[in-house]
Amino acid sequence: MAHILLRHRDIPNLNVFEVYKKNGGFEAFKNAVKTMKPEDVINAVKNSGLRGRGGAGFPTGMKWSFMDNKSWPHYVVANADESEPGTFKDREIMEQNPFQFLEGVALGSYAVGAHAAYIYLRGEFWQVAAFLDERIAEMEKAGLLGDKLFGTEYSLRIHTHLGAGAYICGEETALLESIEGKRGQPRVRPPFPPAVGLFGKPTVINNVETFANVPMILANGADWYKSIGTADSAGVKIFSLSGRVKKPGNYELPFGKTFRDLIYGEGGGILEDRPIKAIMPAGASSSFIVADDKALDTVLDYASVRTLGADLGSASVIVIDDTVSVEWVVNKTLHFFKHESCGKCTPCREGTYWMLNVIKRIEHNRQAEDVSMLYDVAKQMQGKCLCALGEFATMAVTTGIERFPADFGR
Amino acid sequence: MADVTLTIDNKQVTVPAGTLVVDAAKRAGLDVPVFCYHPKLEPAGMCRMCLVEIGRPMLDRATGKPVLDEAGEAKIQFMPKLETACTNPVSEGMVVKTQLTSEKARAGQKGTVEFLLTSHPLDCPVCDKGGECALQDLTMAHGPGQSRFLFDEKQRLAKQLPLGELIWLDRERCIQCARCIRFQDDIAGESVLGFEERGRMMQIVSMSEPGFDSIFSGNTTDICPVGALTTSDFRFGARPWELNAAPSICAQCPVGCNLTFNTRREAKADGQIVIKRVMPRQNEQVNEIWMCDKGRFAYHYVESEKRLTRPLMRRDGKLAKVSWKAALDLAAEKLSEHKKNSVTLVSGRLSNEDLYNLNIFAGKTEAILYTDMGGGDLTSLVGVSDGTNIGDMGKGDAILVIASDLYNEAPIWWLRIKAAAERGATLIVAGGRAAKLDRFATFTIRYAYGDEIKTIEDLGGKSKIAEAFRKAENALIFYGSDGLGLAGSTSLAAACANLLKETNHIGRRNNGLVGVWPRVNDQGAWEMGFRPTADLAEALKGKAVYIVGADPAGDDPALAKALKSAKFVVVQDISMTATAELADVILPAQPHTERAGTFTSGERRVQRFYPVVPAFGESRPDFSITAQLARQMGIILEGSSLPIVFDFIAHSLPAFDGLNYDRLAEVTEQWPMVGRGDMYYGGTTYENKDGLGAHLSSAAQRGETFKLPAAKNVKPLRPKEGELLAVPVTQLYDLGNTVASAELLAQRIGAAAISLHPETAGKLGAADGETVKISWNGSQSEVRVRTDEGLAAGVALVPRSFGIALREPMTLTVKPAKKVK
Amino acid sequence: MSLLEPIIELGRGLVITMKQALFNPVVTVQYPEVKREVRPRFRGRHVLKRYENGLEKCIGCSLCAAACPSDAIFVEAAENTDEKRFSPGERYASTYEINMMRCIFCGFCEDACPTEAIVLGDNYELSFTNRRDAIYPKEMLLEPVPSADMTTPRKTEANVFTRSVPEMKNPKDWESGDTVKVDT
Repeated sequence: MAHILLRHRDIPNLNVFEVYKKNGGFEAFKNAVKTMKPEDVINAVKNSGLRGRGGAGFPTGMKWSFMDNKSWPHYVVANADESEPGTFKDREIMEQNPFQFLEGVALGSYAVGAHAAYIYLRGEFWQVAAFLDERIAEMEKAGLLGDKLFGTEYSLRIHTHLGAGAYICGEETALLESIEGKRGQPRVRPPFPPAVGLFGKPTVINNVETFANVPMILANGADWYKSIGTADSAGVKIFSLSGRVKKPGNYELPFGKTFRDLIYGEGGGILEDRPIKAIMPAGASSSFIVADDKALDTVLDYASVRTLGADLGSASVIVIDDTVSVEWVVNKTLHFFKHESCGKCTPCREGTYWMLNVIKRIEHNRQAEDVSMLYDVAKQMQGKCLCALGEFATMAVTTGIERFPADFGR
Repeated sequence: MADVTLTIDNKQVTVPAGTLVVDAAKRAGLDVPVFCYHPKLEPAGMCRMCLVEIGRPMLDRATGKPVLDEAGEAKIQFMPKLETACTNPVSEGMVVKTQLTSEKARAGQKGTVEFLLTSHPLDCPVCDKGGECALQDLTMAHGPGQSRFLFDEKQRLAKQLPLGELIWLDRERCIQCARCIRFQDDIAGESVLGFEERGRMMQIVSMSEPGFDSIFSGNTTDICPVGALTTSDFRFGARPWELNAAPSICAQCPVGCNLTFNTRREAKADGQIVIKRVMPRQNEQVNEIWMCDKGRFAYHYVESEKRLTRPLMRRDGKLAKVSWKAALDLAAEKLSEHKKNSVTLVSGRLSNEDLYNLNIFAGKTEAILYTDMGGGDLTSLVGVSDGTNIGDMGKGDAILVIASDLYNEAPIWWLRIKAAAERGATLIVAGGRAAKLDRFATFTIRYAYGDEIKTIEDLGGKSKIAEAFRKAENALIFYGSDGLGLAGSTSLAAACANLLKETNHIGRRNNGLVGVWPRVNDQGAWEMGFRPTADLAEALKGKAVYIVGADPAGDDPALAKALKSAKFVVVQDISMTATAELADVILPAQPHTERAGTFTSGERRVQRFYPVVPAFGESRPDFSITAQLARQMGIILEGSSLPIVFDFIAHSLPAFDGLNYDRLAEVTEQWPMVGRGDMYYGGTTYENKDGLGAHLSSAAQRGETFKLPAAKNVKPLRPKEGELLAVPVTQLYDLGNTVASAELLAQRIGAAAISLHPETAGKLGAADGETVKISWNGSQSEVRVRTDEGLAAGVALVPRSFGIALREPMTLTVKPAKKVK
Repeated sequence: MSLLEPIIELGRGLVITMKQALFNPVVTVQYPEVKREVRPRFRGRHVLKRYENGLEKCIGCSLCAAACPSDAIFVEAAENTDEKRFSPGERYASTYEINMMRCIFCGFCEDACPTEAIVLGDNYELSFTNRRDAIYPKEMLLEPVPSADMTTPRKTEANVFTRSVPEMKNPKDWESGDTVKVDT
């Protein structure tokens, strides 16, 4: 099947303006601005069944329709923070197929009536940001961005904005705070960004991959997109495969393939053909999936993965084999979350610090009480945190101890 | 907006729409524990202490109507996770389960306390907050009994870190509730505190130089739920349960903030009862739950070594200690002898009762109010009425502030007027220089010093600002003496009074004229009948002078000279001032902390103060001394019972009609609840059990007809070539008698300096920090130069109470800068 | 009926008396030449203890004063500096007085003290001849220094005595007595 998102793998040099234009580029945007009403664009995305690709999987068209039309101006923000360990899909899109992503942002802006869009990139992506700035300049030069586009009244400008190295700024409201120049700490929700977002105005904020789908949906039709994938999850997903596999990397697959297809088909199987032990489907924020046959044959879509007691999330699939101790993995994730906790709410700020201390103790001199303590602390944090970081910090701990007790000496 | 009914812990509660669940519970008498939430701040939802179970009626997706169960009641859908009570506004039919009825909520709150305690140091024995600490109280009520955390793994951070010399920060104790930062950002408007780092390393930093540069910094120690922020003034003073609380009124400025003095009998003070600290007392109509740093830290003057303890008499040119009888006898004799030629000079430092007695005592002789600000007779006519509360003003109201830098002259008014502007009131700030209130003003008017009257007259015209003022439903005018002397301020008061009358903003609550007086009870002095005089030196020369509570010699060498030529000088004051040094008889008086009485605030609110510490030495209250002196001279005055004196006042002055000591001690329920058993909710401000005070009526309110004087046009001074226009201004921290005794504030006072625009300074060859020689009217002074870009060219600001005796605008010459090595 | 009966009864009584007089142990303690040893938990005169390095344990927290049911203790606190150090940490008791007429020797102060500074010692021989002498100031209560160079106040190295409660036991120790290895 031809790629929908990683089209540069089929069409070389797709990140060159002329090449993209020659391959049907910008037609969807031009068509939308000139002939479609913004509501029609929203409806197209709604009907396509596209769900957010950043991890939450919220229906994109529905999110766009929640924009408060009594409060103006509207903004669009593309979340290119991509700090989840094990995620590297957005980078490939932005570097190799940037125009499709930018066109998606433009279509989203038109759909909600925004005249300014921001791309928030993690601070470490300064080269990617510079690259995108050049591509945006090319689009402006060609009259695809700027004032009064295509002879209509619609104006649009896209700006890049760099973060400064905080994972929490990938959380949507912390990201908005960061763009506003404040400390990157999540806000209390409700109100949600479509009601009160950037600078207090209604804002659509979506992942890079989500936006990259939109031009293809508009070009080929909502029904076409809906026909790909499963009934629960339409379309394609880029899986960032890493860990103990022979061929780690980004793989674009339609929803409906299985873990086996991904890991053994695309990924070439486990290194040294060792037995597989566990799968972390959502990067460091995952619950561990016990990699038995039932799991391997589970269909990759949001609903099916949930039956395994995990969330597909951003589809950053980390594969663990029998040479890796789950306790070691949890140690690594706890280091990460303790370092990245923003500190605003008590359970996450204190809990990640506490859990890290406990697991460091376990590493050197494991006592049974320490493992119980670790589990208790994780459970105590759950359901109390201000944002998802705190919740997800505990998932690996609880599922690791529950499902792989041997690695914890139980 | 309609009221909302909800159920909290099986109890039905009805509250206004928009109320937060935590406030609704509080009103129903159910305590939901909080740390980061404060009823006067926007909720943050950070600490996760107020976790409760919230259920809302299930609504049918299609019809929007509630889904009913078999009993016909609305089905309640509880959220899977606990929610914070502080971020959720109430909704109709909501069901809330707090820790009293929900095991889940109880476990959630216990978990939060346990998390907080893992990083909190074991400092209770050495922490000043112990005994009034929210974390202690909530741990006992909601926390785990034993710790599971290893002590060695506790976070180590900086302790005893001075954020400026007034407030100390202990970063280990901080529970990252951000109340201090939110107070500084939202209420004080001075964002000098912030967080640094993230995660477990998150810590408070001061972002200003000097550290914690805000005159409201002390309030953060009241609302901090732990001992992270403490005042250096009270450091290790005593435990809260060892302190006695005495209610009083702040005597530093005309706002009249309600205070509580905490005292203790101390061994290191040789068994004396000592004031350990000053805390605010709640009065939502005056100072809410706040006070400024001057009131909080500059009370030490009542205990200073300069206090007069015994009567003194001049013998052979030296002052000798004598008995009261001897001193009173001599004073009475001399004042009687020169009865035709005597002057009674008083100031607004005194209470209403003192001033009433003094006015009767002065009788037909000259009774002079020592002040350089006029207009108090006009505030009696068109002052604000009963029920006035700046906290009620908002959209549709207007507040004009002219010739007054409220931040330096009346900080809590600044705070409340800023809040009124943020609620939508039209704030017009008119001044001769940039001021901190400009940032919150709807309109700013910058006039050249001397054009104050013209500015007011323009506001009666057709400009947009004038329209806004005229159309306002309620309007207050705050006028001061920034850049003005007696004549200028008197004219300004007249102009403002006329403007208010023309625009019909008199005689009702939240309407009228307010004077930003230099002293706490200047308004009371005017009410009692004292008036200032244009030429005080002339009035004092060759007279027998009875000076009470004023220090003219210390303020102005010309007045010192006049006093030296007086026939006889009786000084009645609390400490040895420069004027007392020139006296023939000195009678030691008590400050307001050693006796009871009443003050009339600038808003014409009468408030009672109560004795805090016993009398120092042999000092007596001013009104008693006056009565005793009067008796020797054949005048009968009440000298023992303050309520009786007050009753006399109420019967003789229409403004005070209907008031008495009992009425002034009445208290009504105030919101938010502070200082009671659950001080975590509102902080450690004290509950007001001793009186909210009452407004005086104004002539306008009583429906009397009166004629307002026209504003006398004072010709503005225009300096010649090589001259500057020097104007007197007020600074919060100065070298006056009260602040100078507060060692802690020494760094904030700074040296005597005149402020010039950098260009003006440059023309004189003086840079910021250098010394110049200034001379005017025969006086000379050497002062530092400070540059300020918010000034007009050719203007020099001369601060009062710094030893430079400039009492009204003058032109002065500045000699070429002399560089002092 | 014989004349011997009363004599025999008398004799019986006297035998018992003699047995008791000659063979029973003497329990009288010839105080004050001989003093009875006090029990380990005897509550006598208060002592303010020191650490082995001579620093005072009392940190001036007033918890003893708060716990005292008869309001016998009066404490005023002050700040330690490294130049003039009385106790470890920030705070020490500049005034510490116990009114012996009020004290009921209950030991609540000892229980409340977080640093085990105030303890009720063995001395019960307390007398005074006027009320003023009944107020024992800090000098009377402090135990003597371990050695002459460890007097307080004294100058100490900077940043060494930063904690008021220098040694805390980890919770686990109370239960199992084991100390847990900690990765610091």
